[in-house]
Amino acid sequence: MRFLATLRIIELCHQFPHGITDQVIQNEMPHIEAQQRAVAINRLLSMGQLDLLRSNTGLLYRIKDSQNAGPVSFFLSKMKGSDNQEKLVYQIIEDAGNKGIWSRDIRYKSNLPLTEINKILKNLESKKLIKAVKSVAASKKKVYMLYNLQPDRSVTGGAWYSDQDFESEFVEVLNQQCFKFLQSKAETARESKQNPMIQRNSSFASSHEVWKYICELGISKVELSMEDIETILNTLIYDGKVEMTIIAAKEGTVGSVDGHMKLYRAVNPIIPPTGLVRAPCGLCPVFDDCHEGGEISPSNCIYMTEWLEF
Amino acid sequence: MEQPRGKTGWTEVTEPGPGRPGFGASDRRPRVAALRLLSTMTQAEIKLCSLLLQEHFGEIVEKIGVHLIRTGSQPLRVIAHDTGTSLDQVKKALCVLIQHNLVIYQVHKRGVVEYEAQCSRVLRMLRYPRYIYTAKTLYSDTGELIVEELLLNGKMTMSAVVKKVADRLTETMEDGKTMDYAEVSNTFVRLADTHFVQRCPFVPATENSDPGPPPPAPTLVINEKDMYLVPKLSLIGKGKRRRSSDEDATGEPKAKRPKHTADNKEPIPDDGIYWQANLDRFHQHFRDQGIVSAVANRMDQTSSEIVRTMLRMSEITTPSNAPFTQPLSSNEIFRSLPVGYNISKQVLDQYLTLLADDPLEFVGKSGDSGGGMYVINLHKALGSLATATLESVVQERFGSRCARIFRLVLQKKHLEQKQVEDFAMIPAKEAKDMLYKMLSENFISLQEIPKTPDHAPSRTFYLYTVNILSAARMLLHRCYKSIANLIERRQFETKENKRLLEKSQRVEAIIASMQATGAEEAQLQEIEEMITAPERQQLETLKRNVNKLDASEIQVDETIFLLESYIESTMKRQ
Repeated sequence: MRFLATLRIIELCHQFPHGITDQVIQNEMPHIEAQQRAVAINRLLSMGQLDLLRSNTGLLYRIKDSQNAGPVSFFLSKMKGSDNQEKLVYQIIEDAGNKGIWSRDIRYKSNLPLTEINKILKNLESKKLIKAVKSVAASKKKVYMLYNLQPDRSVTGGAWYSDQDFESEFVEVLNQQCFKFLQSKAETARESKQNPMIQRNSSFASSHEVWKYICELGISKVELSMEDIETILNTLIYDGKVEMTIIAAKEGTVGSVDGHMKLYRAVNPIIPPTGLVRAPCGLCPVFDDCHEGGEISPSNCIYMTEWLEF
Repeated sequence: MEQPRGKTGWTEVTEPGPGRPGFGASDRRPRVAALRLLSTMTQAEIKLCSLLLQEHFGEIVEKIGVHLIRTGSQPLRVIAHDTGTSLDQVKKALCVLIQHNLVIYQVHKRGVVEYEAQCSRVLRMLRYPRYIYTAKTLYSDTGELIVEELLLNGKMTMSAVVKKVADRLTETMEDGKTMDYAEVSNTFVRLADTHFVQRCPFVPATENSDPGPPPPAPTLVINEKDMYLVPKLSLIGKGKRRRSSDEDATGEPKAKRPKHTADNKEPIPDDGIYWQANLDRFHQHFRDQGIVSAVANRMDQTSSEIVRTMLRMSEITTPSNAPFTQPLSSNEIFRSLPVGYNISKQVLDQYLTLLADDPLEFVGKSGDSGGGMYVINLHKALGSLATATLESVVQERFGSRCARIFRLVLQKKHLEQKQVEDFAMIPAKEAKDMLYKMLSENFISLQEIPKTPDHAPSRTFYLYTVNILSAARMLLHRCYKSIANLIERRQFETKENKRLLEKSQRVEAIIASMQATGAEEAQLQEIEEMITAPERQQLETLKRNVNKLDASEIQVDETIFLLESYIESTMKRQ
């Protein structure tokens, strides 16, 4: 009986490719009770043979075949055994794109209770349809996104974070390598002994050049963009080892961004370490407690004694 | 922050009543509501002045000097009363201080003379070795000794300086050779022409038509154009060796003696024309040196030579505290380059363009006439040097990552906590730690920007920023205290070994007198062995330590110079 009912429903759907309402089925098979009808329909839905659609009149059932299959139905076909709520949650997560969405936001958008959300999310995760990615901004927060999407930079922190850890050594290594490159470039320029203009211009390297050098070195497992290299070069500027100038470059020249190019050059500090730091007092941690006649005084200063023996 | 010691704020001077002891009728204080803001000196500066005065001039001068620094301007009797020293001694002490330009005097209304100490001038005594060394590099030994004599004696006439220096130089020369006065005079004239020595203000020759009583203190004046005018003297003579005692005994008969003394009674041709070292000119030279070496470090030797030439050309024309030198045209610079440098005009122009375009901004282009007009941006240069000093201290004290954060905040002016972490690429925990450390030592300060009127911390922006002027002041204060510590340690080391030093001096005196009387080698050896080997070692160590501490004082003084120049230049612009 049930089997016949399902067959009949499928036939009807084939007859009406645009979908049939519950009313139509009822009309066709008036002898089947509503409950049995519902069971049959549910079964067909769960088997993935029918599509469930909503129209302004009510629910529509449509046969699912390859011609009809659109992006929604493709995904829905994956979810064999999922129910509507899951589909809704899935839809919301999909809309969030590669930035992901927080569980609380999912709750707001779907109006489902928290327990339900959690159950659904667990379900979807186990089916490998979505994944949770920890955000680098707030380490407790988890955002959900589709399984096969690459998380956006703002979430993972980009090239400098691997699994939420800031890769200090990686940054340090890059820092040193970039500096060595710029230093050797400046050296060769200085030794070339040509007229000063050429000497100076050849001691500069554009950010594009440095980027290419680093890529060719192959020390990075992650692919680095030119912007990444520029952030590293900026830290060298803050170390006082490198200076930068911006020149106007024609659109289309290699390495130019928005009509200008950044050039970097290794430089020496303008003064040697200053006189104060050569005396023990300049670096003394207990400077403020030191006075003649006290427990810490110049006469009995152990730092001075060590320094004098040096 | 250090609490300034000494009287701050306002002081009122009242007239002494008849019942007050110790005041004669002749020096009634004027009834002026003398509201004077007295100079505030920090504890560290006063301590340093005290140590310097004591080392150079002794206890009494130190007592008077420090008293004047602490209390500001005071008349003679008040000084004597407050310090509890006799009037005679106070007078002598003030003499010494005035001679060395450490104290100035002023005549107030009703004829009261008040004396005021110049604390900053006292601190210059630290820099004497540097002045002398500069004179040596520019004008060789003769110049060195001239400046040394002037600094040690405060003020001298030219003839006295020439004679003294010639004698000293003759001492060091080979037997039979002497130093001619003319040569020393020439060097002196050159020093005056380049403004390294200047005439002291003098009493103007007044007509004697003024009937009133002479003022209690002379008012000294000096004309701008007279300041470097060398009087026309014909100093003829040669340096004399100091005759050792035995030569006198065996050599000249007593008859010659009176003639020597007669020599000294000759009238001095330039009596009343006194000279002193011009410290500002030396400071200008140090500043130029700093700029040139900065350019050499950042660019190359040739660029620094060009900058040196430009500074040399501006020596006389630009006042020392101007923010920019006068514009110099490229043609002028080309003509003034030192003889050894044969670079072509085009190459010079290229260097000048590079200097003007450099991010350092020491050289700027101000026009295109004459092949391009260039100026040196003195204020910016001093600022860069002071900033580099601050960065150097942060780097050595806290480490290079901290220095990275410091430079970052310096360049970006105001930054939030998160931005600091992102730009410097330092993990959040470490960055926070370093920022707080620098904050506690006052290198960095915090600026609050509230979002809501109630200034709630959760709704306020906190921005880190560097205030260069206040950081420089803080560091300067630390420098003063450091030098005071070094001097104290040096005195302590010497005191510890006093007994040994005295012994070694006695031994040396014995040896010297024995050598004079022609003792045998064996006897000399015996005396020398009075100082044992470990004692010799101790003396060696002591000498090395004292030299090291001395050198360190001079190095810290270099830092002081950079910071003070920057602070002075900034205050003048405000």
